Amino acid sequence: MTEPAVAVHSLTKVFPIPFRRKKLVAVRDLNLEIAPGQVYGLLGPNGSGKSTTLKIILGLVAPTAGRTQIFGRDSREVASREAVGFLPENPYFYKYLSAEETLRFYGKLCGLRGRGLQARINQLLELVGLQEARDRRLGGYSKGMLQRIGLAQALIQEPRLLVLDEPTAGVDPAGSRDIQDLILELKRQGITVLLSSHLLSQVQEICDRVGILAQGALVREGRVDDLLAIEDQTELILENATPELLAQISALLDRSPARLIQQRRPQTTLEGLFLEATRSSPAG
Amino acid sequence: MLETRHRPFSLGRIVSLTANTFTELIRLKIFYFLLIFALLLIGSAVFMARFSFQEEFQVLKDVSLGAMSIFTSLLAIVATAQLLPRDLEERTIYTILAKPVPRYEYLIGKLAGVLLLLALSILAMSALFFAVLFIRQQMLISETLRATADLPSEQVQATLHRLQAAAFNANLAPGIVVIYCKAALLAALTLFVSTFSSSNIFTVVVMVFVYFIGHLQATARLYWLQDHAADWLSKGCFALVALVFPDLQHFNLIDDVVAGTAIPLGLFAQTAMLGWVYVSIYLFFAWVAFHGREL
Repeated sequence: MTEPAVAVHSLTKVFPIPFRRKKLVAVRDLNLEIAPGQVYGLLGPNGSGKSTTLKIILGLVAPTAGRTQIFGRDSREVASREAVGFLPENPYFYKYLSAEETLRFYGKLCGLRGRGLQARINQLLELVGLQEARDRRLGGYSKGMLQRIGLAQALIQEPRLLVLDEPTAGVDPAGSRDIQDLILELKRQGITVLLSSHLLSQVQEICDRVGILAQGALVREGRVDDLLAIEDQTELILENATPELLAQISALLDRSPARLIQQRRPQTTLEGLFLEATRSSPAG
Repeated sequence: MLETRHRPFSLGRIVSLTANTFTELIRLKIFYFLLIFALLLIGSAVFMARFSFQEEFQVLKDVSLGAMSIFTSLLAIVATAQLLPRDLEERTIYTILAKPVPRYEYLIGKLAGVLLLLALSILAMSALFFAVLFIRQQMLISETLRATADLPSEQVQATLHRLQAAAFNANLAPGIVVIYCKAALLAALTLFVSTFSSSNIFTVVVMVFVYFIGHLQATARLYWLQDHAADWLSKGCFALVALVFPDLQHFNLIDDVVAGTAIPLGLFAQTAMLGWVYVSIYLFFAWVAFHGREL
């Protein structure tokens, strides 16, 4: 049996509230397994325990009860982080370093040196589209560029697991789409991705499985398609259908016990419209 | 995945963290401000005294070494106090500790970056101090030679010998090393305080208190022991106070240096060793406090 990329067993995290006798239960009895190569979305409203769960998986926060493992190694072991790349929410890197210096710094922390490190830096700058800005200080980077350099640093040691906390927060739709495409590309390369996000349409598009957290507890979990399917309904989308064909379908429907709930022209999404308009603008 | 084998202790990782911390610190405006201030003070010492050459050199050494001591101590506290809060606030700490970097390496790297900065600062200040001392010595030699042109050569030689002895003596270097040890101790203690403090301002305020108590506690201890018997309880209390508030008077050898009193090698070695023992203890305390800290 293959080792799960991430395994969370009976995880509970309680934060004491200073100067009060109350305690805050951030995560309660969470069980989760993420198979290698999957893109897994952790969803939930603010304060539902998503970030705390990610931090426990990364060994940044200690669990009150239960345990987490990365490819079979306890998260509390520093060595388990060799297989992980992490992009926190709204990251700020050292402003005085350039993109190349930033990647070199993180590469050295992962034990990379010399030509191997230089080659990896070049490869990643190309992957995230920052070759032109490689010598610019990060202090002058836009939010989207910071997010991309953040992704590059997370990937520096070619991790098998990528943990992304709100990877597209504050990024414009085009930048957000780029990050989304990058995640799908990483999935094709066999990298497991665990991400938390508020952008449900995006999660729906890129995730294989999702878990929904509410007040620290896992309230739904499963394959996206399975969770979203409405068992007793069927969607039929036709192209170039003539009025006669539609009339025939309507007549057939009248004779059957099935009920037509809605008939409409399919619409593109607002995001799709935005991307189409901005990419085909004369200035672009 | 790129082939690397995790090692629980890596000098390479520490060097990367040290270099990064050092780069971060030299970009701090406060560093330039303190350095310029110290340089100005040392420079101005030349114009402050117009006494006999012995007095002039004494004032020059007193002011310069005093300024070095205060500014390296201040720099150690201010520079160290903001390292951890800044990394936490900007979330860079998450990206570092999510890599295979043990927390003790992170702390060692941060402290080593500060120590490197302090070493360079004190080197720069010493270089300027020695340059001023040398220039002033040469000027006084020329003046003395002119003024004593009619005197017998033995008398001139004796005057020049006294002048040279008043300017440079063997105590200067150990005195400066001890100032560095004191600043290193303060940096390590500041790092420890910042591991549990809620803000860098809190850390600086605590450290200012520690600095003053550290300088006053020897006097307080002497005063207490004069009036009370040294039972085991008071001895234990004093040991505890000495651990929490280091006895900074031990590192105050400036008076001896200025007076030209020889600092015995044993005392110098003992003082330097004491400084590094304190640094190790505070670094260990910092690791204990930071090891389980929720980030």
